[in-house]
Amino acid sequence: MKLLLVGEYREGRLLDTTAELLGFAAAISGDASLFLVGSAEAVPAFSGTLYLADAKVYGEYNPEVHKQLLLKAVQEENPDLVVFVHSSYGWDLAPRVAASLKLAQVSEVIGFAGNAYEVGCCNAKMHRNVTPLTSKAVITIQAGAFPALQVEGTPSVKVLSTDAASTTEFMGYEPAEARDVNLAKAEIVVSAGRGIGKKENIELIRSLAKAFGGELGASRPVVDAGWIDHGHQVGSTGQTVTPKLYVACGISGSIQHLAGMKKSGFILAINKDKDAPIGEVADVLVVADLLQFVPALTAKLS
Amino acid sequence: MNLDLSEEQRLIQDTARDFARDRLEPVAAELDDGGDRSLMLDNLKLLAELGFMGLNVSHEYGGADAGAVAFSLAITELAKACASTAVTVSVNNMVCEVIQSVGSDEQKARYITKICSGDYAAGSFALTESGAGSDPSSMVTRAEVSGDGFVLNGSKLYITSAPYAGVFVVWAVTDPTAPKGKGISCFLVEAGTPGLLIGKEERKMGQHASATNEVIFHDCHIPKSALMGKLNDGFRIAVVELAGGRIGIGSLGLGIGLAAIDCATSHAVERVQFGQKISGFQAIQWMIADASTRLEAARLLLMNAAFRKESGRSFAKEAAMAKMFATEAANDACYKALQMLGGYGYTRDFPVERYARDARITSIYEGTNEIQRLIISREILKNYSV
Amino acid sequence: MKILVCIKQVPDMESHFRPNGSATWFDESDLAFRMNEYDEYAVEEAVRLKEQLGGAPEITVLSIGPDRVIEAIKKALAIGCDCAVHIKEPDVASKEPWQIASMIAAYARSKQFDLVFTGMQSQDRGSAQVGVLVAELLGIPSTTTLVGFAWADGVVTATRELEGGVKSKVRLKTPALVTCQLGLNSPRYPTLPNIMKARKKEITTLQAGELSSEKPLTGSAAFRHPEKRGSGVVLEGSVDELVEKVLVILKDKTAVLR
Repeated sequence: MKLLLVGEYREGRLLDTTAELLGFAAAISGDASLFLVGSAEAVPAFSGTLYLADAKVYGEYNPEVHKQLLLKAVQEENPDLVVFVHSSYGWDLAPRVAASLKLAQVSEVIGFAGNAYEVGCCNAKMHRNVTPLTSKAVITIQAGAFPALQVEGTPSVKVLSTDAASTTEFMGYEPAEARDVNLAKAEIVVSAGRGIGKKENIELIRSLAKAFGGELGASRPVVDAGWIDHGHQVGSTGQTVTPKLYVACGISGSIQHLAGMKKSGFILAINKDKDAPIGEVADVLVVADLLQFVPALTAKLS
Repeated sequence: MNLDLSEEQRLIQDTARDFARDRLEPVAAELDDGGDRSLMLDNLKLLAELGFMGLNVSHEYGGADAGAVAFSLAITELAKACASTAVTVSVNNMVCEVIQSVGSDEQKARYITKICSGDYAAGSFALTESGAGSDPSSMVTRAEVSGDGFVLNGSKLYITSAPYAGVFVVWAVTDPTAPKGKGISCFLVEAGTPGLLIGKEERKMGQHASATNEVIFHDCHIPKSALMGKLNDGFRIAVVELAGGRIGIGSLGLGIGLAAIDCATSHAVERVQFGQKISGFQAIQWMIADASTRLEAARLLLMNAAFRKESGRSFAKEAAMAKMFATEAANDACYKALQMLGGYGYTRDFPVERYARDARITSIYEGTNEIQRLIISREILKNYSV
Repeated sequence: MKILVCIKQVPDMESHFRPNGSATWFDESDLAFRMNEYDEYAVEEAVRLKEQLGGAPEITVLSIGPDRVIEAIKKALAIGCDCAVHIKEPDVASKEPWQIASMIAAYARSKQFDLVFTGMQSQDRGSAQVGVLVAELLGIPSTTTLVGFAWADGVVTATRELEGGVKSKVRLKTPALVTCQLGLNSPRYPTLPNIMKARKKEITTLQAGELSSEKPLTGSAAFRHPEKRGSGVVLEGSVDELVEKVLVILKDKTAVLR
């Protein structure tokens, strides 16, 4: 199967997610070429055709211009599948290309079986298989669904150009703001329990939360002990959270705490006690001394 | 026969549910624990702006004109989250309705609009006295003609929302020589009127955020225009209007009961004992089934009473049945829910003990359930009299 | 100025979902339906623009589906939309994004809307396609995932949410379409008097089949619950081993670790 992978480039940098496209290509045993509005001076390691447009000329993401460039690559490469990451770039650009070519699009793919793509639906509570009914198709893959793959090689570059008129004007980026604690909306929550032992060790958990890019939570005993303020408390007397990943550090898993976090997408628990009740809801229970394990995990993530 | 709600009724139910989830639920436990009452007053203001204070009141006075069914649905949804807020909304609606039903055009324009807009946080019903509870016609508060108005003397007990009410509907004896119940009149008294004093706040078992006070009238002069309806016709007004209030309290009980059994059922499918979820035990299953069935029956009784009311039919018997049954179903649901949670249910880490305390008053106020039975049997027996 | 807001009615996401008989989608019976959350932001933003312009723009709200969607339409009307179009399609679940977009575009093509607001995606299908497809079919510029919106003199200035909290700012001339992300504004509750008054607003009914006869481009099957977690994998060993194992599992099983 011939794949055209649509890489992402922003502010002079190839985004890491591009490696996930390569991971997907390997998983599906596809014959991949790559499209990128990037820089000829820093082409990614890759042994295939690279359809390259110059970001200096075509700027940061511009829907109409990028669509026209990509359509040229599609025309030349004639791929069976155009593959995007399901990101602010991918979900914006993919339907434009699909509409232009009247191709089936499958969004946020997490797996495949034959010609059917597995996707989540109903807020990821359910899954289904979506099958393109056109001979060629456009898909976006869920970020993180396929392991990133670093490959070697030098691509053979085909330079693309267009004189398509822009219909949207890019004004600039706004950097991420520092936010207050918002556990309810956080995608990742890392919580500290009584097992951390003393107030100072909150910092270990805070560092891990930061390394994950998540928010810091806590169980009630930690709040009651005054180690952290109540705004961080998860549980029936604190906040109810439903992150994609919940990391419970030294939390035994009282029923009050479980009430506040059991609906999390994935629960990683770290506890010295193999039989701690948190193990009943945890997807993974790491039996370890968290004072050793947490800093090691933090270091590896950073 | 059609038991489906209209789109408008469903949207009102959804709005109440969303508001309760977003604004009431997060502060309910804190308010119960003696938290700052301004949290509730802020929410009452927002509820007024959304039109919750005059569900069954004409658009002309700022009401929603949505009917008694929508009123019942809204109170149930609010009560699932915070019974104190729900009872205040229920009483406010009843104050608006009684003024709409018997007030003069001037009284309607002056008072209903202020309750509906939230200018007044609340309105109060001042009927009960220390010696006149289930038997209100034995009241002794006097209203005597004085100059071009009346002067009130006496005191009223267990008055909901008294410290923050903008207006009081007050019943007082205007003709002490008349037969029992025939010499009582109804008045509208504004907060701040000299001689109207707010007495001590009761320390209650539940519904802590809703204030319940004694209200004292000491040579309280009110103008002639404060009289609502006809002179000496007040007791009839009270009897008729309390029937509508019963739909409110029944709906409130239903909400508490539903919240309790929902919490307990969620617990039962998580809690493991003897190596299995306790929802696998028949003892628990039967409690879920019994409580849920009674609550569903209560809902249907309430819908029936509300539907009859908004269709302009008689509904006193149906409202009494619904109030009596729903509030007893609510207490039963709270008892079972607490039992299902075991020791956890008895702690303040879970809301069920609050529900249980909040539900307890619902079979007492707005006419005890013994009085409801009296009303129901009286309505039935009158068809058998020879 | 004429504004179109496209809304979808979706099940309450707290619901317990079961596959329908052919396992193409969920069984609708016993589900409570609500307005798609993303669309609440679209409705709110349109009504805010109308208020900003002194009530001048006329807002049409559109929804596709069986009669149940009228409830969502009425909510939008209660919040401040002026009139509504109900595209009647009893089997809306079988219509995939291309067909839905074709219907909307067929309706909107001759109506000269200056602005079209949609949600960024639906909560149930989550394809994030329909808005952009409509714009492409209408041949108007569009931008997605708005967390900021301003309009002045026929130009939209939009703030898009990118990854990791970074945002971008873009400008586009009307006519244009924008898709709204959660957090764009604070959607208001409809007031009860307005819910009742909205009964007087006009709802035009159109038959889906008369607008578009596009065939589906995708098929759906095997609607199911995701595989249950392998309950409680217990990991023991040296710290370094454990860290490696955990990272492999998180990369494999969660979408949050890159």
